Amino acid sequence: MAELPQLRLVTPPTADGSATRRPSTARRGMRPGRIVSVGGGKGGVGKSLVAASLGIELARRGCRVVLVDCDLGGANLHTSLGIDPPRRTLSEFVNHSVERIEEILVPTGIPNLSLVSGALDHLDAASPSHGQKMRLIRHLQSMEADFAILDLAAGTQKNTLDFFLLADHKVLVLAPEHSAVENAHRFVKAAFWRRLRAASSIFGVANLLDEFLDGGRFRGPAEVLDAIQGADEEAGRQLREQMAAFRPGLVVNQVRTPEDAELGPGVAAAWRRHFGIDMDVLGAVEYDDDVWRAARERRPLLLARSESRASRSLVRIASVIQELDALAETGR
Amino acid sequence: MKSLSEQSFYEILEIRRSATPEEVRRAYERARALFGPGSLASYTLLAPDEAEVLHLRIEEARSVLLDPQARATYDERLPAEGEWKGRPAAAFQTAKTPVAQDAQSPRTSWPAIPGVDFHPPEGTTWTGDLIRQAREARGLSILQVSERTKVQRSYIGNVEAERFDQLPRAVYLRGIVLSIASALRLDGEKVARSYMERATGAGAPAKGR
Repeated sequence: MAELPQLRLVTPPTADGSATRRPSTARRGMRPGRIVSVGGGKGGVGKSLVAASLGIELARRGCRVVLVDCDLGGANLHTSLGIDPPRRTLSEFVNHSVERIEEILVPTGIPNLSLVSGALDHLDAASPSHGQKMRLIRHLQSMEADFAILDLAAGTQKNTLDFFLLADHKVLVLAPEHSAVENAHRFVKAAFWRRLRAASSIFGVANLLDEFLDGGRFRGPAEVLDAIQGADEEAGRQLREQMAAFRPGLVVNQVRTPEDAELGPGVAAAWRRHFGIDMDVLGAVEYDDDVWRAARERRPLLLARSESRASRSLVRIASVIQELDALAETGR
Repeated sequence: MKSLSEQSFYEILEIRRSATPEEVRRAYERARALFGPGSLASYTLLAPDEAEVLHLRIEEARSVLLDPQARATYDERLPAEGEWKGRPAAAFQTAKTPVAQDAQSPRTSWPAIPGVDFHPPEGTTWTGDLIRQAREARGLSILQVSERTKVQRSYIGNVEAERFDQLPRAVYLRGIVLSIASALRLDGEKVARSYMERATGAGAPAKGR
């Protein structure tokens, strides 16, 4: 199946505690870069704000960060960063005008932070072919940076799901409103099935999965995994191991009340309870007029209003991501 | 994972068979808040017919488990598999290492905590120092509590030392205290209420709204 390379298999830590890393970086003898994807299904919930803020904060802490605008049809991450639409964009990479993704990095004026703009001039480039997408993914995974942060488009388009799935940190942004929650649920379901399908092909149980799904008698992921394991113990076990790494991290934006702040844990509990899928609650961002004030000034929130409540929430989320990394690193 | 109709009332409410009526009531409120009509968190998560079954089961669970006679009859006929074996829903943050976990292993709750029980008299004011004493009585380090609760170590230290200015706002602080207290097998609600009175009384940035 042609879709496979995007799926980074999870390797349990070896006896000496070291997990298998991407070979390119292992050879260079450095810590591999982490990919953070920021998605959420619905537009306007604050994906770009979260992506830009995480980028700025991690860069301020001395990490080399590349922000990648993966909203190929409606790229505007540069605006969140307060810079003009860059001349160099993913167009050049997608059209093979440049060899390496590093060649289209544009500086952001913030030390350690650069941007790959998704603003595309050609309409057809907004939906790259499979080959173009896979090349982009390969380059993202081997980029020389501590963090690549992908700002995803709204919706559940295949490319968007794939960019979400390839990340080490799958950040899901939602707001305390019904349409945002609905889209977040839809997004997670779509992403989960896409990953399960790809993993099933690897372990040779794709037919089994189709058979079960066509039967239509399954309620959710946990039941399907049970059924596959019942039919093929070894494949089912490996599939489970892979799917355990499907672990979105929730960020609830625009929190106005204590009840709003409970939405993250609530959504995580509902998913665990009903589908057996674990999520991390990365944090909540308080509703804050400073967010639009900074946007109106065309300056990044963290720089324009560093003491605002929203800024402080976002800084904490950056800490949580680093803590999760530290945990993964020690193989706990 | 059992289907809704196969789950016992205990599994539906995610409580142990030994749960007290008060625990049943609280679990019912929690389940209703999470899955009841109008819940935001689970909006469109379940298919409408499934959601309806779940609402019914939650109501049924409450009425049976809160009626001592009905509960006794129900318990008598309930097979051992009806025991809920899940882990409690994390109160603050469910963050865990994102690397592969052994999904095979049963979802056990926290391991039993060694050490002595810690029961201060009713109406005790829960100061940071008392929380520290409770933790030490349990023989737990701050690191261990942090691992159980996923609350940052510095926050636990700041809670114990009552450095309110270095703690997050009330909304979050309450969740943190609740998590810590639960991990110490204390009555989280009671501890959080008492502690928050002190925290918000102190003025600090820990103001609710």
